[in-house]
Amino acid sequence: MTISATPAIEVRGVTKRFGTVTALDQVSFSIQSGEMFFLLGPSGCGKTTLLRILAGLETPDAGQVFFRGEDVASLPPHERGAPMVFQNYALWPHLNVRENVAFGLVERSVSRNEQKARVDDVLRRVGLETMGGRMPGQLSGGQQQRVVLARALVLNPFLILLDEPLSNLDAKLRVEMREEIEKLREATDITFVYVTHDQADALSLADRMVVMSAGRVNAVGTPLDLYTRPPTPFCAEFLGEANLIPAEGIGSSAVNTPLGRWRVAAPGLEGGKSGHCMVRPESLFPVTASRSGENVFTAEIRGLRMNGATVTVALDAGGLVLKATVLTQDSFGLRKGIQIPWGIAVDNTIPIPAEPGGGSGSRP
Amino acid sequence: MKPRHLSTLLILLVLGVFLVWPVGHVFVRSIQDEGGFTLHYVKGLFTNPAQMEAVGASFLIAVCVTASCLLVALPLAWLFARRSFAGKAVWSALLLLPMILPPFVSAVGMRMIFSRAGALSTLLMQMGWVDGPVDWFGRFPFAGIVLLETLHLFPILYLNLVAAFANIDPSLEEAAVNLGATPGRVFRRVTLPLAMPGVFAGMVLVFIWSFTELGTPLVFGVRRVLPVMIYDSVAEIGTNPAGYAQVAFVLVVSMAGFWISKQILARQRSVATLGRLSLGRREVPLSRRGTLLVTVALLVLLGLAVLPHLSVTLLAVSRRWFLTVLPQGWTLEFFGRALNDELTRNALLNSLGLSLCATVLDVLIGFGIAWLCVRGRIRGADWLDALAMLPLAVPGLVIAFGYIGCFSGAFPNTIMDPRFNPVILLSVSYAIRRLPYMVRAAHAGLEQVSVSYEEAAANLGATPLRVVWRVTLPLILANLLAGGILCFSFSMLEVSDSLILAQAEEFFPITKAIYVLQDGLENGLNVASAMGVWAMALLGAGILLATSLMGKRIGQMFRAG
Repeated sequence: MTISATPAIEVRGVTKRFGTVTALDQVSFSIQSGEMFFLLGPSGCGKTTLLRILAGLETPDAGQVFFRGEDVASLPPHERGAPMVFQNYALWPHLNVRENVAFGLVERSVSRNEQKARVDDVLRRVGLETMGGRMPGQLSGGQQQRVVLARALVLNPFLILLDEPLSNLDAKLRVEMREEIEKLREATDITFVYVTHDQADALSLADRMVVMSAGRVNAVGTPLDLYTRPPTPFCAEFLGEANLIPAEGIGSSAVNTPLGRWRVAAPGLEGGKSGHCMVRPESLFPVTASRSGENVFTAEIRGLRMNGATVTVALDAGGLVLKATVLTQDSFGLRKGIQIPWGIAVDNTIPIPAEPGGGSGSRP
Repeated sequence: MKPRHLSTLLILLVLGVFLVWPVGHVFVRSIQDEGGFTLHYVKGLFTNPAQMEAVGASFLIAVCVTASCLLVALPLAWLFARRSFAGKAVWSALLLLPMILPPFVSAVGMRMIFSRAGALSTLLMQMGWVDGPVDWFGRFPFAGIVLLETLHLFPILYLNLVAAFANIDPSLEEAAVNLGATPGRVFRRVTLPLAMPGVFAGMVLVFIWSFTELGTPLVFGVRRVLPVMIYDSVAEIGTNPAGYAQVAFVLVVSMAGFWISKQILARQRSVATLGRLSLGRREVPLSRRGTLLVTVALLVLLGLAVLPHLSVTLLAVSRRWFLTVLPQGWTLEFFGRALNDELTRNALLNSLGLSLCATVLDVLIGFGIAWLCVRGRIRGADWLDALAMLPLAVPGLVIAFGYIGCFSGAFPNTIMDPRFNPVILLSVSYAIRRLPYMVRAAHAGLEQVSVSYEEAAANLGATPLRVVWRVTLPLILANLLAGGILCFSFSMLEVSDSLILAQAEEFFPITKAIYVLQDGLENGLNVASAMGVWAMALLGAGILLATSLMGKRIGQMFRAG
């Protein structure tokens, strides 16, 4: 991915209120051309409103949106050129598949011959070349999803907006469609903005993402960065399971926790700031030989839950409840009630400053 | 026998005797005389010049009324379904106002404005714009009929259209905008095609209504239209089967219209269930200028629509309205006379009693049918529902004609003979005519009440009848009340059955009394108008009450499909 000087999309200070509810509060970020960019957050965090603002279906109360450097605030939705894949598909029941796909071409006064060629081409790309004459109601959920994608793709847009596109599909179809979307984006240089509440979709598909909470940008980054080094407790917990241990910085590479002094992977709580140490359950491991190494503490096993390939272990370390995940094949010595030492690699010991406002963990 | 089978049988018996038999009788008699099977009378419709003229005129009136209703209702419905503006709630209630006066009563009042010695002529002469008095309605009776029926019927189409627009998933329109369609194009390519079945259904309703409207042409003195010809042929019903052929023709036209609109509605339902409904729609607020424009337009429309009500009211409170712009001799005397004169007092009491009986009958049968269809798990529930909806396609004219044909012949000089005593058949005909509204209202209620409430009651030991009595009925009481109020109000103002079935003065209901009085001497017109005002007040209160009970769902009861 090349990073050009002008981002494909830039959102600057966007605020939106519905009555007394602030749906978006000073949201800013930018998206590079060709990126698969995710807006991730729990329901009600404002991500869909943000997507609708990009499409021009909502108008922000404050702030600007730029497409390739151009302020699009004054463009009505039908001139945005940002086709959207609606969550409920929004396939017109009175038009057949071909007519649905050709809709935008008709609005653009594309000649009949070209319409036919482009619709044929795009239906082939999504594997529906034989379904052109069907009505939407005669298609399966997955096929309807493809028609919606085709309806957007046929316009050769620089940008496609996706609103929870997989949420209406069953588990097997989701996996299929995820692969389908991945293939699609490899074959095009279209920028995708993808809204979801499902962190698994985001982690597996995104180039970059913003994690949103209560109308604000909580974190921006690549899936790997945000998962392994979340900048906020909310981000840590939203992207996966996380142990958040109260911590206070000492210098730049160590923290004091109730479980002792730990070395941390990076600065974050330097200068005596207080906050948390984030440790993913899979980063905790039982220390076999009794030794006092770095970041080791003793905890009692309160319970074990078998998940298949892994075992989840509930720990009690001096009143602090922690969760560890170990591979089933490494778990044979573990039993409820025993006290053993547990360790964390320094690289996986992540300091997170307390969120402004003093809250910790997820906010409503 | 289980209660639900017993009630099914009873309901089928009532519908069979009072709906299927008369309708079937009309069909049979239209192709049969003493000599057996004949198409002579049906052919007459298309060969006899007078009958051809009447058929043509009726079609012309119905087409014009439907078109002009569409012209008014389409923009109105779009506005109310998609935009928000100041005073919208009040306006949408006011829009139902035109329905509270039968158009023939309107015509009585409007004659005073448009007749030779009426307000308009007088005004124009005073202004010096015309030389002599002009009888506007006398010169353009068709325009008058179309105008009055349009003003009366556009709310029904409007209600159908609003419902059709509101049922469209907002994301279907957003997707069109998103792919580049301007607001106008969205309406043409997405909104209108999706709403088309509802639009068509509403148009059919208006078409049939105006095709079979009897009172208005009667008051205008237009005899060469089908309903009036049918009315005239009642007198010779035993001797001349031509009337049967005319009634059968009307029935075929109505039924064909309903059948087509039902097919279209059914086809739409089969494709309309895609995905789940997206977020609720937010109506776009109008700008200040837009609101001003809309308010002015609505004022003009409603001003026009209440002109008949106004003129009837003016007639009721004045002694003279002859060659003056405004009436003279203000008085409240006629309101009193409307309640005290023997003819009018009888008519009011008759109408009250008949409508009350009709309403009780409707609530019983309507709830029964709705319950059997939604909860009864009986075979052929669809057929029962279709049978209950049939009266929508059977004009009052047809029912009344059929009743006289059937019951006067089969039970002469008994209480089942409308010529001898029309009381039973009048209230039954009112009930049958308004049954679909009641079934709709009860149906809507039952579908909103979860079955699990009833199952819980059964589970705790209630017998099926006790479940209905203690759980189902209380839960849908608001719907039944709303339906009942509408049935009652419309029965009070039923026109064609009343005009045809009530032949002796002692049995006249309100509408027939108004019709007879307006031709009479000695301030008969004023007393008739005063009665009209009483009726308006009653029906207006009824509709308001029903609306407040049903809320936004009031439109469902006037839907065609």
